Amino acid sequence: MFRLQGSKVLAVSMTGDAVKAKNGSMVAYDGQMAFKKMSGGGEGLRGMVTRRLTGEQMTVMEVKGHGTCYFADRASEINLVSLQGDKLFVESSNLLATDAGLRTGTTFTGLRGASQGNGLFTTTIEGHGQAAIMSDGPAVVLRVSAQSPLSVDPGAYIAHQGNLQQHFQSGVTFRTFLGEGSGEAFQIRFEGEGLVYVQPSERNTIGGDV
Amino acid sequence: MPFREINSKMVEATVAPGQKMFSQRGAMLAYKGEVSFTPNIQGGQGGLMSMIGRRVANEATPLMTVEGSGTVMFGHGGHHIQVINLQGDTLYVEADRLLAFDGTLQQGTMFMGSQGGVMGMVRGQVTGQGLFTTTLKGHGAVAVMAHGGVIELPITPQRPVHVDPQAYVAHHGDVRNKLSTALGWRDMVGRGSGEAFQLELSGQGSVYVQASEDKL
Repeated sequence: MFRLQGSKVLAVSMTGDAVKAKNGSMVAYDGQMAFKKMSGGGEGLRGMVTRRLTGEQMTVMEVKGHGTCYFADRASEINLVSLQGDKLFVESSNLLATDAGLRTGTTFTGLRGASQGNGLFTTTIEGHGQAAIMSDGPAVVLRVSAQSPLSVDPGAYIAHQGNLQQHFQSGVTFRTFLGEGSGEAFQIRFEGEGLVYVQPSERNTIGGDV
Repeated sequence: MPFREINSKMVEATVAPGQKMFSQRGAMLAYKGEVSFTPNIQGGQGGLMSMIGRRVANEATPLMTVEGSGTVMFGHGGHHIQVINLQGDTLYVEADRLLAFDGTLQQGTMFMGSQGGVMGMVRGQVTGQGLFTTTLKGHGAVAVMAHGGVIELPITPQRPVHVDPQAYVAHHGDVRNKLSTALGWRDMVGRGSGEAFQLELSGQGSVYVQASEDKL
């Protein structure tokens, strides 16, 4: 079971079950644990090939055992997400750990991905269980409903879940080309029903420069 | 004298006449009252011999003596600060992680290789933390630095704790440590999970672990 110890350390109690976690993110454990590197995410050879092609080649390890295992990564803030059959979209660089029972895959994000500076593909997690995602600073969870769509800075977006359509929004104008950009030329617009996780920090994106 | 935590990255200490404390040089942020800061050439207490010992052991972080009457605020590099109170037991910590400590504590260095024999030496190489570590013993408070937040994990005879050497900050109590591995031969030949070696701490005490694998 996933639980937070402070805001930056994830504690997972295990009784013979397993979790998938970012390679090298274990900081401590008690009891008996075994660590095994997984080939590109664990969905067999096909998963590995797609991961190689898409650049979402996060290295994942499987941790299995009895006891409590503690995970952390570069002092990032950790957020717990529980999935009840729905799908979570998250950048692989923001993913810390998932229940081993959750299926992971990759999906095409199109222009949004390019504007985020994170490649054209993103990681998807599906099934029933818990996932831990990381953010630079405490993340906020914003609810999107049919009445209130949401626009997010691509550099501050970390994950979303639920039944959401997303498209890429550009505010590039004549002025931008004259070099008077506001730094907010691109957004991702979410419509539908779901949750979006936003961090109080912006990674470097193409959008931030125009 | 105890430290008062102002926030996770700053502590305040009260200095009274006749009492002394040591801190890493340059770690003072602000002070009130009449307080003097003198560079401590010996790098702490214990006289010349212990200074040479520390130099040899490469555990000689420049320290200063803080004396007078008033309050002093300490912090360094935006690192997270953890205050540890010692009740007669020994704290093991890398010298460069020491922010400030009570002058009544006895400072020393310990050869880590002496615990675990040859493996102890290997551990020094693997962890990149050197073969020596600083010890502080007695009754008093110590402020140590870490990257990111710190968690304290209890160590009991029934429950030894394994720690990533890069995330290890300090430990205290009656604790033995050795290098352990939790991988098979397959991982040894280049398919590593990134968790090749751990410090195994067993006995009775606590270990402090930081939420990051980065050094200070």
